[in-house]
Amino acid sequence: MFARWRSIQNQQHRLLPHVDNPAARAYLSAPLPDKNTPISDVDFLSLDFETTGLDAKNEAILSMGYMPYKNGRVSLAPSTSEVICINRTLNAKSVIIHQITDDRMKTGVALHDALDRLLEAMAGKVLLVHYSKIERDFLEAATKRVYGKALPFLMVDTMMLEKRKLDRIQQPIHSNQLRLANLRKQYHLPPYGAHNALEDAIATAELFMAQLAQYQQDKTNVRLGELLC
Amino acid sequence: MEVEKLAIHDFLSKCMPLNKLSSDALTSVVKMMEIRYVRRDQTIFQIGDVNHDVFIIRQGAVEVTDAAGNLQGRYEEGEWIGFPSVLSQTPIAMFVKSIEDSLLYCLPAADFLALIKQHEVIQHFFSEKKQERLRNALRESRPGNYSLLALHLKDLAQTGLTLSPSISIHEAAVKMTEHHTSSALLIENDQLIGIVSDRDFRQRALVPRLDSSSPLRQIMTPNPYTLDSNAPASEAVLLMARRNIHHIPVVHPATKKVVGIVSNTDLLRSQSHNAVYLVGDIHKASDVETLKQLSAHLPKALVNMVRSSLPAYDIAHAISSIGQAITRRLITLAEQQYGPPPVPYAFVVAGSMARREQTAHTDQDNGMIISDDFVPELHDEYFVNIATVVSDGLDACGYIYCPGNIMATNPEWRQPVSVWRGYFNEWIDRPQPQALLYASTFFDLRHLYGDESLLAGLQKEVLEKTKEGTLFQAYIAANALGNQPPLGIFKGFVLEKNGDNIKALDFKKRGVTPVIDLARVYSLVMGLPLLNTFERLDAIAEAPGGISDERIADLKDAFEFISMTRLEHQAMQIEAGKEPDNYVPPEELSTLERRHLKDAFEVVATVQSTMASNFQANRFR
Repeated sequence: MFARWRSIQNQQHRLLPHVDNPAARAYLSAPLPDKNTPISDVDFLSLDFETTGLDAKNEAILSMGYMPYKNGRVSLAPSTSEVICINRTLNAKSVIIHQITDDRMKTGVALHDALDRLLEAMAGKVLLVHYSKIERDFLEAATKRVYGKALPFLMVDTMMLEKRKLDRIQQPIHSNQLRLANLRKQYHLPPYGAHNALEDAIATAELFMAQLAQYQQDKTNVRLGELLC
Repeated sequence: MEVEKLAIHDFLSKCMPLNKLSSDALTSVVKMMEIRYVRRDQTIFQIGDVNHDVFIIRQGAVEVTDAAGNLQGRYEEGEWIGFPSVLSQTPIAMFVKSIEDSLLYCLPAADFLALIKQHEVIQHFFSEKKQERLRNALRESRPGNYSLLALHLKDLAQTGLTLSPSISIHEAAVKMTEHHTSSALLIENDQLIGIVSDRDFRQRALVPRLDSSSPLRQIMTPNPYTLDSNAPASEAVLLMARRNIHHIPVVHPATKKVVGIVSNTDLLRSQSHNAVYLVGDIHKASDVETLKQLSAHLPKALVNMVRSSLPAYDIAHAISSIGQAITRRLITLAEQQYGPPPVPYAFVVAGSMARREQTAHTDQDNGMIISDDFVPELHDEYFVNIATVVSDGLDACGYIYCPGNIMATNPEWRQPVSVWRGYFNEWIDRPQPQALLYASTFFDLRHLYGDESLLAGLQKEVLEKTKEGTLFQAYIAANALGNQPPLGIFKGFVLEKNGDNIKALDFKKRGVTPVIDLARVYSLVMGLPLLNTFERLDAIAEAPGGISDERIADLKDAFEFISMTRLEHQAMQIEAGKEPDNYVPPEELSTLERRHLKDAFEVVATVQSTMASNFQANRFR
């Protein structure tokens, strides 16, 4: 684990001379938190992407929603929601899921502008996501395309946290059990409308608060390293 | 920003008072929010903390206790906490903890203060004192022309007399006289073509000396104004005032066929809600069977008055006067049967009828105070006969036999003045539990029939004694604390001070009785010769050394609100064809009503504790 953290720090440091974009440089210059940082001191950014499909190589980020979370509080004031204009028509199936039409998409912003702002919000923060594969793959692909290099980041995945917990107590996992909406229900959180990036980012942060509160019942002094994926 | 689509936006748009904000203003509130999650049994505020946020509960529940550990309230989804300390800018005064896993939306103090500064509705919601809130709620529930708005013309319209326009004026006058009506509708070929009223005979026939054989058509008002049968009665008032007319034909809203006619007298009559008419008819009834039929109208009269948003005081007064009229009529009928009394006596009623606070049918409480010339061997048979006729008659009319046997048929309560005096002296000098039970009934005693002076003299002596008896005072005060209001409503249950949840609250025992008892205590202590709770409270406010005017005004509002809630519940049951009772389940109450009830209970509890300390009543509990 320690090596992994060092490698992130090293990556940040090593990549800095290779990128020109000011937002990317600022992100790389702000050190990500130490894995020994008490969880209450860690700055998080709860993040969700809606994408045109699952494969980051061929598909694109369609919208993003994010807001900061720290020490038991999600703040909506600095929350951000962006729709990204991409150079293709949307397939009908995905429109049904994310509810973003071609017309709405065409009024969106360019990916590089949205990404600049996201990196600014991410500086020094750990990403909080549900099902990290999507955000990880697409963020790596997008930063590589826009800045020339895939940027490193730290992530806590609420789905992974739940999976680890169930594995620890050797409970079998049913299909769909780990979906965001189902986990929220299990933690007695109110039902939210799914597949809106901003809503899902809020929903993820709330789920994390509930998971953490439960986790901290058995264990005090929780540190960042235990939760990273 | 897609804030409007968020679930949190949707939730807040339904929460008071944010539901009053424009959509833009609400969106900016959503953006001020922070979200917190608290596990069950976690401290949210300690006493003395400096508070930085106002919270609204999104999910879960929160409990508030005071420094001594007494439960002050429980709050659920959609309710606000933490605002008093932010408003007063003082440290937290209560201990606040989560009792369920809770998701809280919090508004930072600075944003909250800016918000209430910006929006008067928000300011009003949070800073209005609970007493003012209650007063405004009562005022809002009674718009000016209340009853006429609630009634529709189809409820008021009379069938009306219809005549042909070709008959003579004389023939029309004869028919109208026969039908005791001051107006007639003129129909030709199934169409309403005109209307005549008494005024037309005077102005259009007599003054111009028209021949009485002239056709009625000549004096009619052609094409009269009509109103649809589903229009509110208030429209008729407006039209009558504007056009200076007294009769309006009422037509079916779709077919426009005449269904009846409404007059200014009908409107006036509707305002009196049948109660006055009912009392008039009761006075004319010649047997128990007729009285029984008339008393069957009482539930409907109650519903009408409740639906017309009349104050509880007026409703109870009208309902009580029906009961009193029935009782009086029964006594008269009994005297017709058994002749005049051998010695003077007073027929008295106790309890809610005496206080003029009856709602739906209740049991009967009555007695006889007989002159000291009473010789049982000679006279009692007469009084037994009278008492039996009255008691049986009342039972037949729905005022069932008193389960505690407080009736003139019971020899204990059919006694000469001297024996009654002995009873009162005993109750006042030796306030034992049974005595206190009787006392709460018999200290509310009203003369209904016979020699008024028999009760008046006794009452005067009794009040002299209650004014002096400090031990008695402490006991009745303690007794009056036996019934206390609950804390409020929580999660669909009634929340008790000990934290228990009950399904439905007894609005008689726990709602109105605490106030009734409290008013009785103070009027006995002050020697006030009044019985009705509102009247007692007014007199207490005026008398020196009692409770402050302001407190009494609050208490009256609380009593009114609690009484109205109970009356509305009973009206609803009557309309549903059920027997009216006093158990109001919380699901019948709106969120706003629950809030007002909580305020009302709090007012009652506060005055009760003042009473407790005034009379050191807790020593005797």
